[in-house]
Amino acid sequence: MAAERRYLPLQSARYLERTMKKYYLLTRYQKLWGRPLGRPLAWITSGAPVEILRAFGVDVVYPENYGALCGARRVAPELCKVAEAAGYSPDLCSYARSSLGAVLRPDLAPMGGLPSPDLLVVCNNICGTVLKWYEALAAHFQVPLFILDTPFVAEELDDAAVEYVLEQVRSLIAGLERLTGRRLRSAELSRRFELSNEAVRLWGEIRSLCHHRPSPLNVPDLFVHMAPIVVLRGTPAAVAYYRRLYDEVRERVRQGQAAVAGERYRLLWDNIAIWYRIYNFYKEFSARGACFVTDTYTGGWAAELAPGDPLESLARTYTGIFLNRGVDFRVRQMVDLIRDYQVDGFVMHSNRSCKPYSLIQEEIRRRVVNKTGVPGLIIEADMADSRVYAEEPVRNRVQAFLENLGG
Amino acid sequence: MVEYYLGVDIGSLTTKVVLVDGAGNLVGRVVRRSGYRGKEVALSLVDELLRESGLSAREVARTVATGYGRVTFPADREISEISCQAAGVVHLFPGVRTVIDIGGQDSKVMQVLPSGRVVDFAMNDKCAAGTGRFLEVMAQALEVRVEDLGKMASAARERCSISSVCTVFAESEVVSNLARGAAREDIVAGVCMSVASRVAAMASRLSREPEVAFTGGVARNAGVVRALADELGQTLLVPPDPEITAALGAALLARGKP
Repeated sequence: MAAERRYLPLQSARYLERTMKKYYLLTRYQKLWGRPLGRPLAWITSGAPVEILRAFGVDVVYPENYGALCGARRVAPELCKVAEAAGYSPDLCSYARSSLGAVLRPDLAPMGGLPSPDLLVVCNNICGTVLKWYEALAAHFQVPLFILDTPFVAEELDDAAVEYVLEQVRSLIAGLERLTGRRLRSAELSRRFELSNEAVRLWGEIRSLCHHRPSPLNVPDLFVHMAPIVVLRGTPAAVAYYRRLYDEVRERVRQGQAAVAGERYRLLWDNIAIWYRIYNFYKEFSARGACFVTDTYTGGWAAELAPGDPLESLARTYTGIFLNRGVDFRVRQMVDLIRDYQVDGFVMHSNRSCKPYSLIQEEIRRRVVNKTGVPGLIIEADMADSRVYAEEPVRNRVQAFLENLGG
Repeated sequence: MVEYYLGVDIGSLTTKVVLVDGAGNLVGRVVRRSGYRGKEVALSLVDELLRESGLSAREVARTVATGYGRVTFPADREISEISCQAAGVVHLFPGVRTVIDIGGQDSKVMQVLPSGRVVDFAMNDKCAAGTGRFLEVMAQALEVRVEDLGKMASAARERCSISSVCTVFAESEVVSNLARGAAREDIVAGVCMSVASRVAAMASRLSREPEVAFTGGVARNAGVVRALADELGQTLLVPPDPEITAALGAALLARGKP
């Protein structure tokens, strides 16, 4: 057995905790301070154009982030059971089941569940499940549901698709104007764009620092520290947070500090984290000197909004995200990451919950192995529902994979 | 002093212990059901094997443990059975590039290099269809011994169609075939094909290069060997002792690089 290797914690973790605590506290009591200010509260999907909502003074919470939190706190199985008992299929996404379970049984849910919404905004650029999930929420809360339908981009994003989404962005704006009784102020929208882009740029640079050998971060760091780029996107708090994180990571690079002491193998991770095993799972790797220097998931929040007409840029950026792209794009993305980050092997989490991410992995794996000659492993698990996680078979595969890596 | 090396493979169903000498020759082997105390069974098998070979524990230079019980056994090293399987098979058949192994709970396909290094592998996950356990359940439903399945399959006149998605549902298909008056031999042939088609589908995920070896306890079943060869359209090399190859590989890895 390889000697236990220490995994270097980030100082920013405490700042992260404070930032997230403050965010959840503010949203929890949003009814008290937001209502008097005429600020509605929206539940929105992780891939929805939040900049528009922020420009309208709408506060937002993310049921997906909450699902991840339920996974990490290991309460997701209980909440999933509640949803299943209410008739939702066990094959449904575990974020959806956790969220619906928390709505039905807030007494079992962390923080007593999310504060109830005044409106819902769903964008199907990340999956089709969110449509039905949010329809169920709309029926439960009896609040308006805004839908942005982004056509799947099999090859290249064409103008017709952009025009189609743009039209919906405009009607979302019209709907929000009706709902809030306020006009969209273009100066405020540009400010939100800039804040979004600044945080996104910093997040991209932080990820990019992992080009260094040894890598200053391991993928659990990226997963844990991505929370603000999701929930605080388009706010000064996100920018402040990533400035601080960037400084710490750059300092690590300057001092040659490694996230995984004695980095021997550099790996690429594909798919969402296994939240309930976030540290233990990756320890199987770090104990053998393997560091995940990059991943496909957290990079999804590193795409800047293009300059030009802001609404068109929104339509383009949000339609073109990687989960809404065909297999060629996904292969190219992994091949590029493997070359750029000098990766020795890749691990794909076949995530029972996330169909658009996982169903095509076997084909992507085959093509990436053929193009790069780098070995790839698929392990089966779920991001939040630990009931489908089988420890020993996973450990067995991971061990076999690492034994034969670079051998 | 001549040195010996032990390979201990504590599997989900059986435990296998293999002893090799410094030249990598097989000195002895024993196999027994793991039961619920795999480690104790393995320790007593080691004693037995040493006694039979007229050796003492001091003459064993190194031990490698593998299989699901590998972590509990007091060995010098534990190595995954995927690496061990590859080492064992390449030692027996140096020309092999693809290994298909069907054990008690696992079925796996490996692509190997002449050095014994595994380039790629695929394994079943969270499902017993396509494993030895599947055959045991079917043998029980048919009230035949699992060892006799191969012989029965070769006496079949046709193959009943048995699905390969779920062991429990496949068992009810076996029962309804019996109720319909199908010959047991034909059902057995269908059961063997069900395992073969499941594993062949997994094998097609990797680039399957000849020669292809078939190992694990299920490789003793001539019905599955034939069905798998049919499915793959390829002859399969089956070692005379197909369930001990991972233990042999473990012993060879204990010996180190030749």
